[in-house]
Amino acid sequence: MKSVAEKLLTPDRELGTGKSHNGPVRTRTGWLYRLLGRWITLPSTSGEIISEHDGPVRTRAGRLNEVWARWFTGSRLGAAVGHWASRIISLPQLRRLATGEIPWTPLRKPISDCTVVLLTTGGVHLRTDRPFNLNGDSTFRVIPKNAHPGELAISHQAYDRTDALQDINLVFPIERLRELEAEHIIGRFADHHYGFGLMGSAKKLMPSIKEVARRISESGVDLALLVPA
Amino acid sequence: MTTVALGLVKEVAVAARAPRFLYLHWPFGHALGEPGNIVQQRTVLHDMLSMAVSAPRPGLVVDLPYRWRREKYEPVLDWKAPSEAVVSALSLQTHPNEMRAAA
Repeated sequence: MKSVAEKLLTPDRELGTGKSHNGPVRTRTGWLYRLLGRWITLPSTSGEIISEHDGPVRTRAGRLNEVWARWFTGSRLGAAVGHWASRIISLPQLRRLATGEIPWTPLRKPISDCTVVLLTTGGVHLRTDRPFNLNGDSTFRVIPKNAHPGELAISHQAYDRTDALQDINLVFPIERLRELEAEHIIGRFADHHYGFGLMGSAKKLMPSIKEVARRISESGVDLALLVPA
Repeated sequence: MTTVALGLVKEVAVAARAPRFLYLHWPFGHALGEPGNIVQQRTVLHDMLSMAVSAPRPGLVVDLPYRWRREKYEPVLDWKAPSEAVVSALSLQTHPNEMRAAA
């Protein structure tokens, strides 16, 4: 039998994996877990999607996480701490993983003949898709080229999404690239684009990165543009 | 496949050994600039496309000169020509012969 504390702190159901996702996820959880979940992002509270207007939607993060994110984004000191944190977390890993020659593929045709694909680490995905786990997710989501901003969602808690929700192009310039395609500035905007969420471990990301790289190179893309959050 | 990365933390891209990297001194979550500022967003995209065409060798980092919210952006008139910001940043880092070979 579970102890009382265990009952209160364990969600009855983890957020579904692999299933498509529509609207808020209702989970039956202990009151303490719900209370904690309001302030910090816990596994079962990170699935709720909130719609504020006819633009992209966001996945709810804990209030404290939101305060952090606003601080990282909005103030000079916060930004300095954010830069410091991302260096501390990623530099040792990247130095271990990225060794040898820097890969190099020169562009062999003019931009106006190139097929362009977009990759973002801003936690962008279709709102009908399963949201990223806000505390770290090594999976990726496919976003079709014709997606309307209102069909998209942001599941990320390490930056203030207020502006990106107003204009998704700040972290995922899908509308701008559709315009560039229509104006024949780029040859073609690829059919599928890729979103990644927040992930602290570069090593765990590698299988996803390799799969995305395989899909992109098989679809005849010439140029990949990488946009961070 | 050619890649161009945009980034807000310079050291990370250097450690990741990105082949072509553009660095912006802008807040997190604003890689393309301010909401609704289409001219600004197109300027950054033009810089990315220019980098794909003009970077002569791997590992170059271009520090884009735009100040946050204190810049006036002009529409890009000629998308075939590489952007001023990228060309001038590259010319500081590369040998003149390299630039001629890339152009």
